[in-house]
Amino acid sequence: MSDSVIITGLTLGYLLLVLIVGLRANAGQSSSLEGYVAGGRHVGLLVLFFILGAEIFSAFAFLGAPGWAYGKGVPALYIIAYLTLAVIVWWLIAPYISRLGRRHGFLTQAEFLAACYPTRGNLLGLFIGIISVLAMIPYLTIQIAGAGMLFEAATSGIVPFWLGSLLACGVVAAYVYASGLHGIGWTNLLQGVMMVFIAWFLGLATADQFFGGVGEMFRQIQQEAPEYLTMPGAQGMGWGAFSTAILVSALGCVMWPHIFMKFYSARSERTLKRVFVLYPLYSYLLIPLLFVGFAGIVVLADQPLDSPDEVLLTLVVKMADFPAWLIGLALSGALAAAMSTAANLAHTSATILIRDIGQNLPIGRNLPEARVLKLTRGGVIVISLAAYLLALANPASLVSLLLGAYGIVVQLLPMLLGALFWRRASRAAAFIGLGVGAAVTLYYQFLGGSPFGWHPGFCGLIVNSALFVAVSFASKRQETRSPADALTSG
Amino acid sequence: MSRKSLPSKGMLIYFGVCTLAMVWPGALIANRIEPMILGLPFFIFWYVAWVFVLFVGLVIAYRQEAGEEVDDE
Repeated sequence: MSDSVIITGLTLGYLLLVLIVGLRANAGQSSSLEGYVAGGRHVGLLVLFFILGAEIFSAFAFLGAPGWAYGKGVPALYIIAYLTLAVIVWWLIAPYISRLGRRHGFLTQAEFLAACYPTRGNLLGLFIGIISVLAMIPYLTIQIAGAGMLFEAATSGIVPFWLGSLLACGVVAAYVYASGLHGIGWTNLLQGVMMVFIAWFLGLATADQFFGGVGEMFRQIQQEAPEYLTMPGAQGMGWGAFSTAILVSALGCVMWPHIFMKFYSARSERTLKRVFVLYPLYSYLLIPLLFVGFAGIVVLADQPLDSPDEVLLTLVVKMADFPAWLIGLALSGALAAAMSTAANLAHTSATILIRDIGQNLPIGRNLPEARVLKLTRGGVIVISLAAYLLALANPASLVSLLLGAYGIVVQLLPMLLGALFWRRASRAAAFIGLGVGAAVTLYYQFLGGSPFGWHPGFCGLIVNSALFVAVSFASKRQETRSPADALTSG
Repeated sequence: MSRKSLPSKGMLIYFGVCTLAMVWPGALIANRIEPMILGLPFFIFWYVAWVFVLFVGLVIAYRQEAGEEVDDE
């Protein structure tokens, strides 16, 4: 009992610290929309590095990733592979996006694409806005539900699910409302540093406690369950599924609106590139968390878990003989992962909700900037509340349905690349590719098994790109510049 | 608009090699447990190592480009 009190106290202390840092970040900044949304396009190396890190490392890092290692074995490495390869895609296109954003005042992904492919009444912008918000809300719900689950398990029920998720959601909504991207930046820095230390400490301590070291742990797995240590893993994930999951996630990573929009906020293109140089090292954060999952293979061999995602909590809270303060720290680290991602999602969704959806509707046109800023901050509260209610209702089927929306967001990639680099890119071709690619993805995701076990999004991307290229060549467009270049010369 | 040159051909090949090493068919050659390095089964070590290889490549690419450009900011 007293242990649970220590754990609860430590975690509440952590929440309070994050809240104070987040609210104080508001001091001394101008209250412009650009400042609130993009940090005045003046975010430096350190903060941007941790923002991008926080966006990628969500509740999944502490729950899902060890779960993959525990349930499947080495196929879990797909996470490390795609995070690393995503940096290549960022490296190639982010500087262009940053530059065009600065020049034309873009703040969202939809604005960029809508400017390159103009439509009547800005239907494209509206469409992308709606799809993006639909894709991000379930993702935010997962973070909030993850926080609630962590709280309940680690405090042995002193803080129930509904209260844990409410606390996490409330703290996030408060500092994002008050401080915008500045609040996110400084809290992500704090949470990022915490996560790195806690993840390594936990991973090594777990291997040490049960096996006397990481090397010993893998020796033992090799003797008792070697199938976990080579492909296709314990549940038979084929090379096709593994490779296409890596590729589509790496390519799609750049299209997540909350990541894409951060390219606008960099102080300079050089800052962006410095962040990307360092970024692959961030994926080492996952290695110790995978260790915890691997430990579970042997430790829980006699009493397998129904839900692999609980492997870290089970080992650290229930099985290991860790002191209460360490469990409290572990909980804070996992909460940091969930909350730092949640903050970015709430902030980005609110921006899109107002700027891409609201301002494209007849009632929202020509609003003064101060009013837009106020609405965006209100949007943060509305989105957070919606995600919290979804987390309580826990409609798993709705969440998986909404995840289909992200499948569509990924299909925007070919038209983005075309806009940046290809002078023959035609608008009609881009729309045909997007439409068919999205349909193919959704079909394989929800109805039929995809060919060769490939990732549904990957199949969609192939069809999408092929159509985009073919129809562009077929149309008679004779431009000398790519759509993005044409913007500049008018 | 002065368009910055795309990454050099060498860099694109480097990126391509890193990608292939982590997916089929490149990763096939690493699909074994022995030898264990730093306590890690070889397949896991392979991924840890390639993350570092990409990091080194990005450092080189950054230094190359920083040498060419002065018009930033």
